[in-house]
Amino acid sequence: MRQRNPAIKSTSRLMITCILVAILVIAYLGQSTTAGAADNVCIDCHGKLPGKYGEPVKLWQGSIHAANGVACNACHGGDPKDAANAMSPDRGFLGVPKEKDIPAFCGRCHVGVLKDYLASLHGKALGKGGPTCVTCHGNHKVVKASLELINEKSCSLCHSFKQEEIIKGVMAKTESRILAIDAGIAAFKQKGIDTDRLEKGLFAVRNSFHSLFHTVDVARVEMESARIGAELQKLDDLLKGFDAVQRQRRLIGAFAVAGALLFALLFWLLRKTYGRL
Amino acid sequence: MGLFKRLTDWIDFRIGVRRIVAKELTGYLLPANINAWYSMGSILLFIFAMQVMTGCLLLIYYVPDADKAFKSVTVIMNDVPFGWLIRMCHAVGSNMMVLVLLFHMLSVLFMGSYKRPRELNWLSGFILFNLVMATSLTGYLLPWSQLSFWATTVATNSVSSIPVIGQYLVEFLRGGKLVGPPTLGRFYALHVAVIPIAIASLVGAHLFLLKRTGVSTPPFGLKESANQWQGDDYRYEDHPGGIPFFPNYALQDAVSVALYLTFFLTVVFFDPYLFFTRESFIAADPFQTPAHIKPEWYFLANYQTLKIFSNEFIGLSVQGMAMTCLALLPFIDRGRERHPLKRPLFMTAAIGGILLWVGLSIWGHYS
Repeated sequence: MRQRNPAIKSTSRLMITCILVAILVIAYLGQSTTAGAADNVCIDCHGKLPGKYGEPVKLWQGSIHAANGVACNACHGGDPKDAANAMSPDRGFLGVPKEKDIPAFCGRCHVGVLKDYLASLHGKALGKGGPTCVTCHGNHKVVKASLELINEKSCSLCHSFKQEEIIKGVMAKTESRILAIDAGIAAFKQKGIDTDRLEKGLFAVRNSFHSLFHTVDVARVEMESARIGAELQKLDDLLKGFDAVQRQRRLIGAFAVAGALLFALLFWLLRKTYGRL
Repeated sequence: MGLFKRLTDWIDFRIGVRRIVAKELTGYLLPANINAWYSMGSILLFIFAMQVMTGCLLLIYYVPDADKAFKSVTVIMNDVPFGWLIRMCHAVGSNMMVLVLLFHMLSVLFMGSYKRPRELNWLSGFILFNLVMATSLTGYLLPWSQLSFWATTVATNSVSSIPVIGQYLVEFLRGGKLVGPPTLGRFYALHVAVIPIAIASLVGAHLFLLKRTGVSTPPFGLKESANQWQGDDYRYEDHPGGIPFFPNYALQDAVSVALYLTFFLTVVFFDPYLFFTRESFIAADPFQTPAHIKPEWYFLANYQTLKIFSNEFIGLSVQGMAMTCLALLPFIDRGRERHPLKRPLFMTAAIGGILLWVGLSIWGHYS
């Protein structure tokens, strides 16, 4: 029998070991990513409980968190795979935060938003009767951030809606422009036009726009909206440039098509002069 | 004028150009009842030349590397002067080539021009048809978009249903277990070199066979439309008293090519996106499967056939049998009659086949 080279043998062993380790790691990662919502003991137990213990699960199921696979343990900590120790502090269980701790609780993920909130009048009133994240966004049934959250019903809980109505009006105009530009970019992208620069530009503008969501200073909102409007105008101008190029191409196309048709007619007339076909 | 005559005389006295023109162009007579359907071949030659020309221009900027291919196509579409036009002409042209090829085949079928002694013309044309489909399939992957990637994954995967060798064939086609950079390398080589050379060679063979057998007489407007060849000896079908190829039929070819160009340019300038989906302009992502990936319109019937049968191998076998029947048609249909209205069995089978193909394609599109 042929003797195998020891170096090759050890390399083969190393390769097999590496492959097995890789398979185990992939299998583990696969399990841990799917454990987000499925096979979650928090949901299994609380979902079956009546009243206030079961209600959070029902509320969470209709939330933006559930839609994005963010489960109980992502906020409250604990071990969603071990029923016996799911709510053990040793496994990082945090439980329900106190009211003044809510912004920091949510801000572990929403870092930028926490900063905007703390800088606002709402944030400055934290612990003095001011609103926290859940006042407007809801707890468990967390709704997607949108201008709809600025409404008379919510705002009037603490103060009049007059100032917020102005803010909402200014921001609604900006938002509709952002949506229109977004749709324009998507339409040009489907035509093979390189929209990368536009997409990045709109992403940056949208981020600055979102940072205004927690501002209650009308003057600042108006000033920032004007700046964002100028940025949007630049993007809009680029889209109009694309549109002009498309129109120009269609015009050239019309001449090209007419030229080809004219040639067909000329060749046909010439052929007729030769009589038989 | 004097200079031109002196120049042509100079060339003619050396290589006899006028005799070639007299024999091959003005003296080359075609059937007196020839029709416009006979110019489909000229349109196809024009399209092939356009595809080669636009393909060569695309090669200047295209980078056949999985990491750079999509970006290079984006550069062609956005930064290269007239790059968008060249790419659109190439992409739309590939679809038009299949469409005109189908019309060419249908005209040959309905006029019975495939019948003996033209079996080899039909066979070479049939192989050309398959090569055009192959070049379209391989070219589809090159932009390395989501559509390219996943359509190629689906197309190559269907081969895996062949017993015993299926999996090996898939790996051979892909250059690995999955569609990836080696697949792009293979498809690129096939698309820009192997298949175009094969097509050009077969076009030469097809034209040589046409030259040796002579142009078939259309079966329309004749008292006797049956095939007169007895099969006892070589015969060149000449057409005494017919019309000259040049200028008469060459002008008909020019009319057909110009009409084709009108249609082609309308699509290129006004709706080239007819042949593109949203996924055509998104870079390939092996980890994100798009919801509905459909093949090009000319593969929809094949795609739907594979879906109808619970076993993909049966689907492939059915298609293989249909294609074999089509390839061997001149040896199966040995009747002498060529007029379609005097061939009821053929007409029923042909129209049934076309309706089935159209029906399966529509079903495939909406399924």
